Amino acid sequence: MSTITKTSPNHRATHRRRRLHLTPYLFLAPALIWYLVFLVYPMYQSLTISFMSWDGLSANIRFIGLDNYRRIFFEDDTARLALWNNILWTLGTLLIPTTIGLMLAVALDRKLRGRTALRAIFYGPAVLPLVAVGMIWAWMYNPQFGFINYVLKAIGLGFLARGWLSVYETALPATFLTAVWGGVGFPMVLYLAALQAIPQEQYEAAKMDGANGRQLFWKITMPWLREANVIVFSLAVINSFKTFDLIYTMTYGGPGRATQVLGTWMYFHAFQYYNAGYGAAIAWVIAIITLVMAIPYIQRMSRD
Amino acid sequence: MTATTNSGANAKSLHRSASMKAEQRFTDTVLYIVLIAMAIVWLVPFIIIVLTSVRSMGDLISNGVFAWPKEIVLSNFDRAWNIGNFSTYFRNSLILIVFKVPLGIVIASLAAFPLAKMQFRFSNIIFVFFLIGLAIPIHVTLTPLLVMMKQLGIQGTLAALIPPYVVFGLPFQIFVMRGFFRTVPSELLEAARIDGATEWGNFWRILMPLSAPALATLFIIDALATWNELLIALVLISSNDSRTVPVGLLQFQGQFSSQYTQLMAGVLISITPIILLYIFLQRYMVAGLTAGALKE
Amino acid sequence: MFDRKNVMKLLALAVLVSLLASACVATPPQSAAPSSEQPSAGAAAQPAAGGEQITLRWANIIDATGQEQWQAVVDAFQAKHPNIRVVSESTAGSGAAVYPDVLKTSMASGSPPDLFFMWGGSIAQPFIDAGQVMELGPYYAQYGWDGKFAPWVVERIKSDGKLYGVPYHALGMGFWYNKTLWDEKGWTVPTTFAEQEELCAKMKEAGMYCVSMGGKFGWHTMRVLDYFLEHHCGPEVHDQLNRLEVSWDQQCVIDSYASFQKWVDNGWVVPDFLTISPDDSRFPFFAGEAGLVLEGVWYEGVLKNNEQNVADYDFYLPPTDHEPLRFSAFPEQWMIPSGAANPDAAALFIDFITSPEVQKQFPINDFANSATIGVNPDCNEWPLSCKWREIILTAEDTYPPTDQAFVKELMDGFFEVQDAIVAKRLTPEEGARLMQQRAEEWLARQ
Repeated sequence: MSTITKTSPNHRATHRRRRLHLTPYLFLAPALIWYLVFLVYPMYQSLTISFMSWDGLSANIRFIGLDNYRRIFFEDDTARLALWNNILWTLGTLLIPTTIGLMLAVALDRKLRGRTALRAIFYGPAVLPLVAVGMIWAWMYNPQFGFINYVLKAIGLGFLARGWLSVYETALPATFLTAVWGGVGFPMVLYLAALQAIPQEQYEAAKMDGANGRQLFWKITMPWLREANVIVFSLAVINSFKTFDLIYTMTYGGPGRATQVLGTWMYFHAFQYYNAGYGAAIAWVIAIITLVMAIPYIQRMSRD
Repeated sequence: MTATTNSGANAKSLHRSASMKAEQRFTDTVLYIVLIAMAIVWLVPFIIIVLTSVRSMGDLISNGVFAWPKEIVLSNFDRAWNIGNFSTYFRNSLILIVFKVPLGIVIASLAAFPLAKMQFRFSNIIFVFFLIGLAIPIHVTLTPLLVMMKQLGIQGTLAALIPPYVVFGLPFQIFVMRGFFRTVPSELLEAARIDGATEWGNFWRILMPLSAPALATLFIIDALATWNELLIALVLISSNDSRTVPVGLLQFQGQFSSQYTQLMAGVLISITPIILLYIFLQRYMVAGLTAGALKE
Repeated sequence: MFDRKNVMKLLALAVLVSLLASACVATPPQSAAPSSEQPSAGAAAQPAAGGEQITLRWANIIDATGQEQWQAVVDAFQAKHPNIRVVSESTAGSGAAVYPDVLKTSMASGSPPDLFFMWGGSIAQPFIDAGQVMELGPYYAQYGWDGKFAPWVVERIKSDGKLYGVPYHALGMGFWYNKTLWDEKGWTVPTTFAEQEELCAKMKEAGMYCVSMGGKFGWHTMRVLDYFLEHHCGPEVHDQLNRLEVSWDQQCVIDSYASFQKWVDNGWVVPDFLTISPDDSRFPFFAGEAGLVLEGVWYEGVLKNNEQNVADYDFYLPPTDHEPLRFSAFPEQWMIPSGAANPDAAALFIDFITSPEVQKQFPINDFANSATIGVNPDCNEWPLSCKWREIILTAEDTYPPTDQAFVKELMDGFFEVQDAIVAKRLTPEEGARLMQQRAEEWLARQ
């Protein structure tokens, strides 16, 4: 830092080149070091384990090359089902919570009475600990006394009432609905923060030129939200493939294996089936799939 | 969706202004009704938590979760707070939040600055390198992390949570801050540089203040994630004295039965500080500063 | 509106606070460290010898209510052994689902507790196979533990004839019912499988369900299926099935699956239970909508926690039509990791908490189902546990729940078939065939 602060206006030109050379790394250093030590190193270890056959407990560890990876794609029916569930989950997440989140952000960016409270309510699910979310939504969906069936019956849609989480076909959509409830707040707050950065003058000027609401939104708001969109969409993909918590607490992968996703399947293998190597391999498959999808998108959108 | 029209009316003619206002009022009303209806749906689980926390176990189990409590019982809160060290868990979580969240965000913002606003050789590669951390499921890193904390001699203590918590927040925070820094016009920084400002000064005096809404948003997201994190805390912290709130909440469920009412009272207690924090940070999440800065 | 100065102030404040907090957060661990680190280092050299301070790490699944009760026991131990400080590391949670995972991680990373709670059979086996737990023969000799515990429990926790654990609980399961409600309806306890089914039919007529269960983790549903297997296959074949010595693809297994489908189809089971948590499956039972739950001796404690009148309830052993009448039972035990820092102190603690004198002195809930001979719950306070005690200690033979016979991976295959049978995605024949296929695949991998 000292070299930077010493820079005097007179020697600015010569110093700037050197400054730009070293400075980025000085800013990056704390994060990079922290990241290398506490994440990259454990990640590297798990990558090594993914080429092994290991129960995760004993000294009996054996190198088996790409066998674990081969098994995921060619032998394990549940892994394939889990992958398919992840794809559905990702498509759903890209469409529903993000759109609702954006709509809420735009609506609550206006000067509305009680908008602070409304923002807090829509972001509210995030404050709840997982154990509470799992328990309450199990009650909401309960086939006997659940709130959802009660409401359906009350509004004359009783024929739709069913044991949502216990039926093979509806278990995943029902869990996803809980994810929507819990997931609109996150894009909403990110979009809200992005909306704050839009210069109001641009709206004033456009309105002077007679632009209507829709035009303002598409010509001014959306372009300004580009960075936020990149973040929201790529996180939607990455987090959807990593989905674990909600499924684990709400259905435990059931009924049968109908709601297994790669995240839970990885957890079951690594922690319950004593297949540490196989679990690590699934984790890396998750990482690679998401990166292959997300990185080109992020890179393309980042280009000015 | 009609667009964001925060600014006051600036109509050209009286006629048009009147009709626009009527239209505006109509859209506002519709919007309002939709928002309130959604808010009610969103609140139902919270209402259940409150109702469950103020009734007795016998009442809950024989009358059902969605019935109105026969009698309001406040002893659950007392029990939740005093049983099983809950106050200790609470203190631990508070310490963690106060220390970890600002530390993580500052480190991430420092890293995001060059990635967003400087051109250097490995910029792209380093950014992608950070993104990998976003994609890896944390579960597989738990065993290596535990070994590492043991080597550092902080295994089992509250301090063992800080390195992993900071690092698992980093990729996301760098990603978000980089995005927000990119929306800050480069001319601002350029102008400051010409005036002799250092990059260090630019970071603290221009970028950070302009990103206040983003910072406040990240702060709340990260505080929530930290407050509710279960898995790492469960594995890295073994002794009951160093545990955090989410792990503590597990203690209301035994192998064979759950103390639903105490658990929900515990949940209510546990979310209070987070709600207070949200209300406090709300002030900083408003209003475009960029616009004001550009005019200078 | 606020300007940059305010933001700077805010940030400066945040940094300051975080620095202060770092000072706070750094102190407790450091001040705590000497009391925990030093002694364990000393203890490794000369364990449990009087004088040095020892911190005994005790991993368990005791919930908040239990922790409160256990405190007196721990205090008494510490008063007797002032050099040992017992630190409870409890991982509770519904069904204790995360406990094995936490335990396994602590062992894999080389920081195991000094003693830990474990179930029996196949759940404990991986720890034994991986050489992670001590063979306790020497301690059995040292403390004279032979003959201290119910014999079948000791047999059940043996692995290859060796003992790696000390019995803690002896737990049996049966059908629990609301006696008061049954008297009102004129229902009596069935003595044959046919009578059991008739009873279910009567309940259905009365507008009730027969059994309530929660299929979320699989093991709650499994109990009913285990009962059907015992009835249809008989004790001998049932045991062979559990050991994978005979094929699952046989008539009595098909019959068991068929019975299960019949109970579901007839509306005898509270419907849509496949992802209901076992805890939540109690709501219909307590509300009088279901007549039975298949639960263990611990259920008396559950009744009390749920503020039910224990006098209203009773239980019976599900009739299997076989002699001897076997029921599902399983042990729970204490184990000492081979990497434990203080194995001797751990054995001392185990001896203390399993001794009849201590358990009688502190009649806490967890001792009501003790594996220790000579400890009986207060029959006025715990009438049903008292009745169970009689049955468990004199049981000629019992069968293990399948999840303590199969390793978890195979078990989840079993659960998957079970769910598919309930949802009618498989016929009983297909179910039996698939189960056998799973068993063969698993055996082939070993």
